[in-house]
Amino acid sequence: MNCQSCQNEFDAYRQGKLSRDVMTSVESHLETCNTCTGIYRQQILAERVIKSEKELQPGLFLSTRVMARIDKLDNEHLKSAPSFARVLKPVLLSASMAAAIAIGIVIGNLQYSGSKSEKIPAELTLIDDAVIESVDVFANE
Amino acid sequence: MADAEIIKLILQGDKEKFALLVGQYQKLVFRTCMGFLHDKDDSEDLTQDVFIQAYQSLPRFRGNAAFSTWLYRIAVNASLNKIRKSPMMLIKQQFDNFAGDKKEGELSVPLTDGEDPETIMIRDEHVKWVQRALDSLPENQRTAIVLSKYDDLPQKEIAEIMDTTEGAVEALLQRAKKNLYKKLAAQRRI
Repeated sequence: MNCQSCQNEFDAYRQGKLSRDVMTSVESHLETCNTCTGIYRQQILAERVIKSEKELQPGLFLSTRVMARIDKLDNEHLKSAPSFARVLKPVLLSASMAAAIAIGIVIGNLQYSGSKSEKIPAELTLIDDAVIESVDVFANE
Repeated sequence: MADAEIIKLILQGDKEKFALLVGQYQKLVFRTCMGFLHDKDDSEDLTQDVFIQAYQSLPRFRGNAAFSTWLYRIAVNASLNKIRKSPMMLIKQQFDNFAGDKKEGELSVPLTDGEDPETIMIRDEHVKWVQRALDSLPENQRTAIVLSKYDDLPQKEIAEIMDTTEGAVEALLQRAKKNLYKKLAAQRRI
């Protein structure tokens, strides 16, 4: 058995899946070949390290922690309003302010035009703003 | 309850059912993360991230592949991203690659003559050798070996997760093993 064929059988050899003849050939090769013995030992080392890591278990409360994070994420998502609402809020505020101003102007104009239409008393027509009236005008009344 | 049924309920708003999926698959995800990170705490944190990512992406799960296959993909990608983003891990990996290449050659030195592998195992230094050798493998070889050795997946499923053929996975695994033992031998001689 040469080195390559011996190394090809390592997995099966470790798992005890080789026939008796092949197993004997592998073992005799390993007894005489330092290279293959080295590789075989490294394979065992690697397998055992991997096995020890595989045996580690996640913490008992991993599932609880995941669900807590999901709850937190969902709550944050609910708190943060959707984007259209974020845009709509200032637009609505501005629109309501503009509407209030417009209503104020309209009401003011209505009042102004109402007061303007009132009839001017006859005596006030006598007053000429261009000249200073004599006090007698009023004194004679 | 089948995965598809649980997923349907979650998507209908019964998010508490996601705990069932976490409970069922947490070991699988954790093992995959361990294969890449070799640290219990880091792997646990990453496992949580993987499930959060899965929960958020659940509406996009089409059900063409098994849920576990989909979850493996997320776990592998998250692990690779974590490694890529960590500068310390990159530096370590580059150093290991350099050391591995420099020392590549025939494997002639047995680990410790006459020493029981059990004794070798308990030494932290030797554990680190293996971890470093695994970390220094190219990403696709590393993924294949993690899914094969840590998760005990058949080549067919590995091929599905890695979106490649079974033949390609077989070749990857062979190269990965060869590289792993070369790198182990190289580290032994540093």
